[in-house]
Amino acid sequence: MKVRVSNIQRFCLHDGPGIRTVVFLKGCNLRCPWCANPENIDYDFTEYYDEKTNEKRIIGYDIEALDLYDEIIKDKDYFRLNDGGITFSGGEPLLQIKKLEPLLKKLKDNDINIAIETNLQVSTELVEIALKYVSEFIIDIKVLDKKNNHDILLGDIDLYFKNVSLVSNKKPVVFRIPLSNEYTLTLENQNLIIDFLKNNPCEMVQIFKIHNLASSKYRAIGKEIMEFSHVDDEKVLNFYEKIKNIGVNVQIIKF
Amino acid sequence: MRKIKDLVLKYTSKTRLAHVILVFRYHRKYKNIFKTFVFGVKSLFLFYAPSGRLSKGEQAKKLLSKVKINISDSDRFIYNIDVFKTMHRNGRMIDNISIDYSRVLNESLLDMKKRISKLKKSSYLDDELLTVDAIYTYLDREILAIRHSNRSDKEKIIKYLENIKNGYPKSFEEAIQRILFFNQLLWQSGHGLMGLGELDRILEKYYLNDIKSKKITRESAKNMICDMLHILHKLYWWKSNVLLGDTGQIIVLGGMTHDKKYFCNDLTYLFIEAVKEVQLPDPKVLLKVSKDVPRDLMKLSLDSIKTGIGCPLFSNDEVIIPKLIEFGYDEKDVYDYVTSACWEPLIASKSIDQNNIDSIVFIHPLTRMLETEDLSKINNFKKFMGKYNEYLEEYLINFTNEINQIIWEKSPVLSLFTDGCDKKSVDIGDGGAIYNNYGLTGVSLGNTVNSIYNIKKIVFDDKKYTLEEFNDFRKNNFVGYDDLKSELKNQPVRFGCDDDEIITLTNEITSYADKIISKISNRLGGKFKFGFSAPTYIIKSGNEAASFDGRCDGEAFGVHISSDKSSLAYTELIQFASKLDYSGHRFNGNVIDFMIVPSFIENNFDKMVDFLMLSIGLGFFQMQMNVVSSDTLIKAKANPKDYEGLIVRVWGFSAYFNELPLAYKDLLIERALKNEGKS
Repeated sequence: MKVRVSNIQRFCLHDGPGIRTVVFLKGCNLRCPWCANPENIDYDFTEYYDEKTNEKRIIGYDIEALDLYDEIIKDKDYFRLNDGGITFSGGEPLLQIKKLEPLLKKLKDNDINIAIETNLQVSTELVEIALKYVSEFIIDIKVLDKKNNHDILLGDIDLYFKNVSLVSNKKPVVFRIPLSNEYTLTLENQNLIIDFLKNNPCEMVQIFKIHNLASSKYRAIGKEIMEFSHVDDEKVLNFYEKIKNIGVNVQIIKF
Repeated sequence: MRKIKDLVLKYTSKTRLAHVILVFRYHRKYKNIFKTFVFGVKSLFLFYAPSGRLSKGEQAKKLLSKVKINISDSDRFIYNIDVFKTMHRNGRMIDNISIDYSRVLNESLLDMKKRISKLKKSSYLDDELLTVDAIYTYLDREILAIRHSNRSDKEKIIKYLENIKNGYPKSFEEAIQRILFFNQLLWQSGHGLMGLGELDRILEKYYLNDIKSKKITRESAKNMICDMLHILHKLYWWKSNVLLGDTGQIIVLGGMTHDKKYFCNDLTYLFIEAVKEVQLPDPKVLLKVSKDVPRDLMKLSLDSIKTGIGCPLFSNDEVIIPKLIEFGYDEKDVYDYVTSACWEPLIASKSIDQNNIDSIVFIHPLTRMLETEDLSKINNFKKFMGKYNEYLEEYLINFTNEINQIIWEKSPVLSLFTDGCDKKSVDIGDGGAIYNNYGLTGVSLGNTVNSIYNIKKIVFDDKKYTLEEFNDFRKNNFVGYDDLKSELKNQPVRFGCDDDEIITLTNEITSYADKIISKISNRLGGKFKFGFSAPTYIIKSGNEAASFDGRCDGEAFGVHISSDKSSLAYTELIQFASKLDYSGHRFNGNVIDFMIVPSFIENNFDKMVDFLMLSIGLGFFQMQMNVVSSDTLIKAKANPKDYEGLIVRVWGFSAYFNELPLAYKDLLIERALKNEGKS
């Protein structure tokens, strides 16, 4: 069974513990307006115009999952300290988890730490497969109001809540919150997040400003990027304090 | 008449060159024609070198009795160099080495004299005796000047200097002063790029004694080290070789020991703390590392690197020590290796090892072959490589032949501190040292690998063009073929990538060079060695025609072991470098050169320490980091006044960005942009 990959990136320091290699998979069920990897949203191959080299290329290729193994463990010597390893990201990697299963098994058999970056708004059946192999879940917290989550992101918040409680009872969880004034940092959403964190244990919450690094990617795939207002450091710090005050381990990430 | 003859001799020898270089160096720093003119005129009166007809010992006597001595009232240490006076020179001055300063701490002038007096009569002996006498005179003159100075601590300093004659240092401060005295003597005698050696080992006992007796504290010791760094830096405009900052004042710290443990002490930390604190581009620090290096030492090193000063450079003993033994250095010596001005290993006070004589330009024989051979007859890749090897062999033979024409100027001063010379009664310049090897640096290896890889893919595998057609594009500097040039430049697989084919090709080229080099001796009876990183990536590229890596006529070569691939993972480059073959003669400095954005280290500090620790085990040879952002460099280029203190790593040294020639500034900006994925 072939998986559809967009990129393999070595030496990633923000996507799980230790030093990691991240496998980016194509296709996502959500449509977050701030998405940092717009080239991975569509499962279909994506035409990409590289401004730097002036060349067109196609993002995405199909490969037998097991054939990825040698490539992604090239840095295995770097995984030794502090639980480094492989992170599956995307897009939404759980959408291809069935096809990934033989690879996940092989990684696990070889004691390679596996993390997954997921929105977790997918069928619970897929989450259960991941639970067999994945050591750490990095789960997004985005827009928690049911209607907004559906209307803005095309997500299913009930499914999300159900999956979060399933995962957080079994595996270490890191929550990630992209910060935008327009969506995630509205007062209403902030309160929902605080309530949510009170009820769902985690190792850590990482918060970060949505970054504009993706703007060239949007241009390259011919999509419009939404303009976001600047998020003040003070606002980030206030939110950080709010989370800290409920006794949750929180970290501000800078890319 | 005699004076006129001397003058003629002076100005027809290389001494004249030394005078010209002095004025050039002054202008390089101050960039003011009027000031340079005044300096030039002044130098006509003040410039002095003893007559070349005198023996070297007599010259030393003349020189050291004429050197002008200025005693600073404010500096803690006495360090006095008269830039207008030097030794006469016909041959090439020995430079780019360190002596083992523990010798001058453990041996007084009287001891030296006694040691030499036991030698059989020879001109070598005469020169050595005269030189020791000259040092006595020099010391006395300096002591007298101190006596006449306004220094409040003159009695203490005079005692330190008197002790050089027939005593030994009794404190940390005195030991530093003594090292500085002999270091100044070497510079004054015309030896450039003088390293400082393993100061943490050498100074340990003095430091510990003083700490124990509460004579000093850790903090006051650090202040002394800072003062030492400041005073060594003072004349950097004059000490700098090719570019400002390139002084070769390298301090070597830490390292593996005979029993394979890791050595470091409080001074290892103090020296790194001090270089971080003084924020000067020079002197610089090289830290020898092994798998057992303490994590907190790596953290401190990264903290220093993070400031952008470019040091310490890491030298991996896990890889280097076995290569030194394999090459033929005595196992007793190798754990104390130091390096030449950049990073080329040598054994202090036992070798002349001139490790930076010149650079092998790997692309040169390839270009020559493409311009000379009937390319229609080269119809497969095997034949192609066979031909390249033929040209590489011819090039290396001619190149080393030329190098073997170099005559080294005798140096009784250096001989005084070098093992082997007494035993043979032969000056270091004539091959008196125990080790007499020559080191070549290597440049454009990456350009060559990428060129050959592209030729293989496009001509022999894909058969897109014939070799002749392909070569026509190159000969025309790719004019009108921008797409092809871009394709060549942007091959996803290239030098620096963790790719089996690239690694094999790189090792094939260097193995062949090693085979040839290993058959050649130098004129002192030593061997040649070479490395893959060199200071000459701009200096040597100017006359080299376009190459198949998409490089245009005269464009700069790749820098050391680095990749021009945008956003290449640091781990990938380390994996690549760790798989290169450094055996045989291939250990004359092999440095990975990273560009890193300051915020990247700041935001990922602990993981970067993990990265460094794990990389040592993987087996890189040496590594340095240039911590700077393209944004800062671009602004600094446009508004130099706002960035006067901005330091960058250039080759094996750091420099003020503002003081670099334009070509170096632009290359740094280009590399920073690539690293950040912006070009």
